[in-house]
Amino acid sequence: MAEKRNIEINSRADTMDLMNPDIRPWPVTPPPDAEWVMANTYAKRKAEDFGKWSEDNLRYEYSFGKPEALQGFRFLCVGQWRLANKFCAALLCEAGAEVINIEPPEGDPLRQLTPFGREEYMLADKFTGEKCGLDFLHEMRGQKSVTLNLETEEGRAIYQTLAGQMDGIIDEMPPGYMDSLGLGYRQLNKLFPRLVYLNMAVRGTWGPYKDKVSKYGQWTLEPFGGCANSFVHNTGFPQDQLPRGKGGDPTRSGVWFADYVAGEQGANTILAALYWRNVLGGTGQFCEVTGAETQMDILDFDIAWYGFNGSIKARTGAWDPNLNQYEWNPCRDGYMMIGGQTDRLWYRIGMCIERDFPQFGRLIHEDPILKEMGARNALAMLIKTYTVTTRWLRDINRIEAEQKLMEYEIAAGPIMYIDEVAEFPQFKYRPWVCTIDTDHYGTVLFSVSPNNYQMRTPHRVKVLGRPLGFDTYEILQKFCGVGQTKVNELKEKGAI
Amino acid sequence: MCDIIWCKKTQADGKPCETVNYLDPYCFWNWKGNINCAHCGTVYAIHMIQGHMYKGPDEQPAGTKPDTSPLYADKPLEGYINYPSGMEGRTRPFHCLPRHIYLGVPDMVKFSIRGKPLRGWRPQPKSAGIAGQFPYNWEMEKLSPEVAAEYKEKIAKGEVKEW
Amino acid sequence: MTKDLRECRLEDLPGPKSKQELDEMRMPYEDYCKAVFAPGHEMSKPEALKGIRWLSTTMYIFTPHSVANLAELGAEVIKVEMPRMGDPMKHTSPFNEAYLYPLHDTRPMTGTGYGFTSANVNEYYLSMDYHLPEMKEAFYRLIKMSDGLTECYRPGTFDRWKQSYRFVQELNPRFIYVWGGGFGYGPKCFGGSYDILGQAHAGLASVTGMHEFMGGHCTKHSNWCIDWYSGTQITFGILAALHWRAKTGLGTMIEFSQVQAATRVLGHAAPMYGRFGIVRQRWGNWDTQLCVHGIILCGKSDFPDAINPQDKFEARYAMVSAFQDKDFKALCDVIKKPDMYSKYMKHKDRVEGEAQVDIYAELEDWAKDKSRAEVVRILQSEGLLCEPVMNDREVYESEHYRTRGTVRWMEDPLFGDVLVQGTYSAGLMSQTPRRQYWIWRPVGADNVKIYHEMLGYPISTVKEWYDKAWI
Ligand SMILES: [Zn+2]
Ligand SMILES: [Zn+2]
Repeated sequence: MAEKRNIEINSRADTMDLMNPDIRPWPVTPPPDAEWVMANTYAKRKAEDFGKWSEDNLRYEYSFGKPEALQGFRFLCVGQWRLANKFCAALLCEAGAEVINIEPPEGDPLRQLTPFGREEYMLADKFTGEKCGLDFLHEMRGQKSVTLNLETEEGRAIYQTLAGQMDGIIDEMPPGYMDSLGLGYRQLNKLFPRLVYLNMAVRGTWGPYKDKVSKYGQWTLEPFGGCANSFVHNTGFPQDQLPRGKGGDPTRSGVWFADYVAGEQGANTILAALYWRNVLGGTGQFCEVTGAETQMDILDFDIAWYGFNGSIKARTGAWDPNLNQYEWNPCRDGYMMIGGQTDRLWYRIGMCIERDFPQFGRLIHEDPILKEMGARNALAMLIKTYTVTTRWLRDINRIEAEQKLMEYEIAAGPIMYIDEVAEFPQFKYRPWVCTIDTDHYGTVLFSVSPNNYQMRTPHRVKVLGRPLGFDTYEILQKFCGVGQTKVNELKEKGAI
Repeated sequence: MCDIIWCKKTQADGKPCETVNYLDPYCFWNWKGNINCAHCGTVYAIHMIQGHMYKGPDEQPAGTKPDTSPLYADKPLEGYINYPSGMEGRTRPFHCLPRHIYLGVPDMVKFSIRGKPLRGWRPQPKSAGIAGQFPYNWEMEKLSPEVAAEYKEKIAKGEVKEW
Repeated sequence: MTKDLRECRLEDLPGPKSKQELDEMRMPYEDYCKAVFAPGHEMSKPEALKGIRWLSTTMYIFTPHSVANLAELGAEVIKVEMPRMGDPMKHTSPFNEAYLYPLHDTRPMTGTGYGFTSANVNEYYLSMDYHLPEMKEAFYRLIKMSDGLTECYRPGTFDRWKQSYRFVQELNPRFIYVWGGGFGYGPKCFGGSYDILGQAHAGLASVTGMHEFMGGHCTKHSNWCIDWYSGTQITFGILAALHWRAKTGLGTMIEFSQVQAATRVLGHAAPMYGRFGIVRQRWGNWDTQLCVHGIILCGKSDFPDAINPQDKFEARYAMVSAFQDKDFKALCDVIKKPDMYSKYMKHKDRVEGEAQVDIYAELEDWAKDKSRAEVVRILQSEGLLCEPVMNDREVYESEHYRTRGTVRWMEDPLFGDVLVQGTYSAGLMSQTPRRQYWIWRPVGADNVKIYHEMLGYPISTVKEWYDKAWI
């Protein structure tokens, strides 16, 4: 339990430290315990046996005592700036593989990125004081950091030696760069035919619209991918709902979403290639995943629809054009998401709203057009339904709306911010975010792997990002037989 | 949004207008200005803050120009007859659409945009075998000879493209 | 290696071993890539997951996509649907407009909506009302003959029907069992979920869209992207489990919460809140960590005379990226605002909130009398990074995706000429590429193939079940 302290607050700077997990530990209020959940969740559904079995076999806390699925697999990751290679490597690490991340001697520039340039939101290494940005720290989870200058002959020689001992390589350098160094797939494949080699890019390392580097050396980063596959065009509020230039515009994802999608498909591609290699007697191979394309794979039917009748998907804000109800709308203290389109759910939503707001029944349930499921999805019907629904929502808070809708077993939930996510009972019970007491950066709150809840080989996070070059000595000794004296010499020369 | 304007303006026949004008949520959540009734054209001044009608709806003198119109309106007391988007002088158009026409019902498509046959129309003749089994070919010539014939014409006219 | 170490054989030396390989080494990098990936020739190569058989008792997008990834990689997948109805997603179409027919002979007026696209490709379609005791034996036969299953029912439902992992591991210890749903074990275990709930509940919506001062609201990512993305992450869990099983012979059970997967993409949101109590907010079309790196509104559409409103009104947005000092300086010169460069010379200065407001206003002011194409052309001609925000037609017409084979036409065996945007775009592989055989099949289209040919039930039994609507 944290002790109570008297603190004088004169500026924001004085409050910063008060949020430190050593002073204000997460979670602020404890989650419900297992007995509570048994009595109030499983028992209410008469699913005690099933609930107990799930908790006994899948719990997060037990994962650390179980084996790791990819134990023994080893990968090299070379790339900068982007999150796709980091996320791909993170997934492999979480499943138990060893990943060595190669950075230039000055470090991946992603280490320097911090919201609005605020250095105070970076974490300082306890020993060296060197600061690191949070995106990098969070996504470099599990990976080892080795510095190598690939522009030097010594750097390249070490890289090649490392490559020979890997199952796979993740390359997210600009198009053709590794190939031009003589360290691309076509060269390494001749030496190590069992190597699985994965290129990662925003639009591609080849093809008429491949990734560009500016005249001054700047790389192509997300959201260029989302701009090139129609995701951005199809996201956002229409100018009919908000004025253009003031919210009624095509909109990018708040995160580098295409990077994450590329990262997971990259990891799948690597594992599929290794399955073929190991189990079916295949060889190594060359692979490429891009943010623009892997995200296009998941853009529902959008491009296929153009082939059907020339439709070009338009943005529809917070409403889904295929379903009613399936949207979020503003309420008294934020936004409330409501979903349910089959007749059964649709009328249950209506009954819930009608209890507070009788006019809903008159305007919605009695309208003959709205009685038919397909017809409810017409644009005019969305406008009508959501106008009247929001007329109800404007008077209540998110939590009230959620409780009311839950009584009718409707899939509904408020838009929550990260502070609310971190304190939501279900999320801290499992937990979805959790803390790690790290060796260099103190206690850090992080997002847990969703593959962490498994009976035999749960994926898990043990360490987050590391200081630059933290593992250089170990890796060079172990894989290259290069001792510390030589490493120091190479450092001096700028090769490491 | 936030609200509806249930217009009660007395009409020439002495009866109230009884039209419900829907003020869609995002557009009107915070909004101030004049809006017309889709049926009778009466203009109302409204001022909405966080979805609440802070002021209004206040009827404006005849001849006042509206700043905007509702996207949709209907008349619940007259069998829900309605005014969809884009009726000149009544409702405002909805511009952000996938095509210049809006159907809202299944589009009966027989050919893809490059002119090759596509089974996008109904009804289709029965063609399942035992227990709902389907083969791995369509048999267009047998099941839909008219589409097969039309396809031949399209080829002859050069209307079938690779892309 | 040869026995006699003095003898040097070509094939023992590193480097190219034949004329063909030598040519390969000399090819320009791009030609080499095109040659090894060979788009359009996928079928001449083996499948990565040959021999894996997976059951899919899934609905909507999330859990189906976890299996579609396997099917594209060559696994044999059996999709089990409710008789006569099918997956509810089959009844979903944008604006109720796009359907392919037939769904099933008994429902001549009902089609399968485009909402079903890409989520269940290459699969065999079986119909079965599997909670009937009479169908239990057939279901267990499937379990014994398969490597795994993905299901999406409310937690405990399959347990009640005696077909949860608790039961099936007794039948087949190698079995890999996946449950995918909203929340997983815990106090909200039985809460239902959709893609949009994941976006809202897990924090993704709170960081997407224009900020209030820009006039915006929390914005939904187009598409059911969290469903798709979460499904792909299940595939990763399955593939890792297959590797483990290859080693140990043991299956496992994976419980996967789709809502949680949305929290996973929030990057620095969790650590920043945990350490400093700072709550990440939305920042519209700009980037919180890089500037200039954002989407701007241009004055004119590229296609003012087009009929389609998306071309006519919306071809006005361009992504501009010039965050490094030299790029930013060049950008300021192009837009004739050199003073802006002197004001924000360091990246740290220009990435500040107020600076971003200032800089993007200047950029949009410069672009206000230009079309999107002009903006892109001018900046590109200065060597800067700037690209148009493309719509679906432009993606379809892009030479890039055609060359790479990631957008292509396919003749579906039952439905005809369809445009394929998935499968090939999920990743290129030189030896064991993904591939698509068919988009989907009618409900129960493979009943005979599975019940009779695979499980050995006589046709009379299959017909009887069908007449009773058990299948
Ligand atoms: Zn896919
Ligand atoms: Zn009126």
